[in-house]
Amino acid sequence: MSLNNNRKKHIKFIERHLALLPGSHEAQDVNKMAIVFYAIESLCALEIDTKEIYTKNLGWIHKHYSKISLENDEPIAGFVGSLTMDIAGVNTISLPNTLFALLTLLILDDRAFLTDSIEMGRISSFVSACQLEENGSFMSALNFDSIEASSVDSNDLRFCYIAVTILYLCGSRTINDFSRYIDTEKLVEFISSQKCNVGGFGQYGEPHAGYTSCALSALKLLDSLDRLSEEFIEKSITWLVQRQVSNIGCSKFENENNASYDEFDHGGFQGRENKFADTCYVFWCLNSLQILTPDWQTLCNTSLVRDFLLNRTQNLVTGGFSKNDEDDPDLYHTCLGIASLKLIDESFNGVLCIPKNISSSLES
Amino acid sequence: MSPWISCTLDKDKPDMPFNIEDYKDIEPLPITTGLPDELCEIMYTDNYKQIMGIARALVQKKEYSARALQLTSEVIGMAPAFYTIWNYRYDIVKWQMETHSNVPELLNNELSWLDEITLNNPKNYQIWSYRQSILKIHPSPSFKLELPILQMMIDDDTKNYHVWSYRKWCLLLFQDFSNELSYTDTLIQRDVYNNSAWAHRMFVLKSTAPSGNDINDEINYVKEKIELVPQNISVWTYLRGLYEYFRKDVYDEEIIKFAETFTNNVFDLKTLENLPPVESSYAIEFLSFVYSKNEATQYKSITGYKALSEKYDPVRVGLWDHKIKRIQQGNRAI
Repeated sequence: MSLNNNRKKHIKFIERHLALLPGSHEAQDVNKMAIVFYAIESLCALEIDTKEIYTKNLGWIHKHYSKISLENDEPIAGFVGSLTMDIAGVNTISLPNTLFALLTLLILDDRAFLTDSIEMGRISSFVSACQLEENGSFMSALNFDSIEASSVDSNDLRFCYIAVTILYLCGSRTINDFSRYIDTEKLVEFISSQKCNVGGFGQYGEPHAGYTSCALSALKLLDSLDRLSEEFIEKSITWLVQRQVSNIGCSKFENENNASYDEFDHGGFQGRENKFADTCYVFWCLNSLQILTPDWQTLCNTSLVRDFLLNRTQNLVTGGFSKNDEDDPDLYHTCLGIASLKLIDESFNGVLCIPKNISSSLES
Repeated sequence: MSPWISCTLDKDKPDMPFNIEDYKDIEPLPITTGLPDELCEIMYTDNYKQIMGIARALVQKKEYSARALQLTSEVIGMAPAFYTIWNYRYDIVKWQMETHSNVPELLNNELSWLDEITLNNPKNYQIWSYRQSILKIHPSPSFKLELPILQMMIDDDTKNYHVWSYRKWCLLLFQDFSNELSYTDTLIQRDVYNNSAWAHRMFVLKSTAPSGNDINDEINYVKEKIELVPQNISVWTYLRGLYEYFRKDVYDEEIIKFAETFTNNVFDLKTLENLPPVESSYAIEFLSFVYSKNEATQYKSITGYKALSEKYDPVRVGLWDHKIKRIQQGNRAI
């Protein structure tokens, strides 16, 4: 079994999300930019010529770009998630929507925009405005009528990762570049404060594969992985490899008692201890591992991972991937299922979450 | 109509339900859609278009009013991820605080409203941070009032990460850790594999400066749970955490003997042929780590890791080989 056997079905499954959607999708209206990114990135990873097909939609994507005028300064700018949120005079841009839009534009090779240093500076200033002075972490948006980080948002590692990635896409490379817009020292301290004793990152000491991937990706882009001790890296590698679910050896004893254990999860990854395996956690764990060590493919068993994805969470009837073998497939898990397989093939940039042939254009 | 809008938001009109007629004077700001190059076009219902059109107009006007508050509730019900609307709602609540005669009551009503939203959207990102923002401006916040929603959400999903995080945030805010050990015990009794409950317990210990005797009690507590189910990563991690954090990572004879009761003399074997059955790969891993710390016992550590590769946890052969290599290079296993 390989991804290619089912490629056409996956493509159809993904393309459906970009077409006309029924009213039942209204709750997802404000997440449109995420849907666009997951879909176009997945198609690109499946080697569809996305640039050829979707260049005609660039105008619509650009309509989501919103500038906030400031009295005595350059405007700041970013993207909204949907035109429903585009309200003149109201701050509705957010960091996640901005990242999703920038990555989509990168895949569609919109060089005119991405090399416009004025616009990239405005977006970087928006990132700057979202940083919290108290601890260096980030809110994902601003208050609706003032240029200050949102009063009602959360400030966890997801937004730290997204903030750093946006700055990278806007041209920051060295720590000095990043420091023009954000307090990198405080940010690295905040990320370090989320380290867990057992390895990995998470809130209040409970490690979580998703947060771990965010923390490590951010540190990688900031070229600050050397801020982690050798002991912590070793613990984290161990913790991550332990997330691969197994049904051989002593693990089989869990079958009788552990309500969150399923022997058919064999080879998949879980996001935390004693949880079911899940397609998206395969990605978060593998991406974390590949950041920490070049030997990641020998440390964990990637051939079992492939089996888990292709034989258990891939949907052979409708296309797409689901989180497990019970739920219906969805776009998010499809995106990360494909990304995981491409990561194992070494053709995917997990830190930026785009195929390597796209990210390589950033390096030149 | 939304059943939760029964609080006294407007002193003149208590229990005023949502009524579209209240917005008749508002010129809606329509959604832009139907563009030729549009992706993910949604066939919006008339209701969605109408409510969003009015909401967009009210936000733009920055109208602070009881009806604006009610409309945010409608919008959040339809599109809970619309972060700007949460922001707008928060500002309306702060505006109400300026004139309301009973601010605690006003904010408690807001928290009750939020309970309903939370129960309908357990995985929404905004609910817990919004709750934190309300508690931060509450003149007399109460941990007791937070417990019902925390309990309902944990009953619904005993490993909900956001709920556990929020509980820990509350503990720090209220500086009240008094019930937490018995609380986690209840959940551990329900499911000894609940890693969140174990992580919470460790957080409580680290936050409360326990005495040496308290830690002895904890070690006995987790030992009982290991005896109950030896193949459970959460309990072994907890045991190691206790020693690492409160015992300077020094492992006494007693704990080594205890762990050895689960390993069927594997560490004394001369050859790895015909490995005996054992109850817990985590016991072997725990001892292999402990043995790696002392040069005189490192050979045992290597035996343990080889046995894991061979029989007890073969999926991770790459990791166990890596641990052996580290020891051979003169490092601890970690």
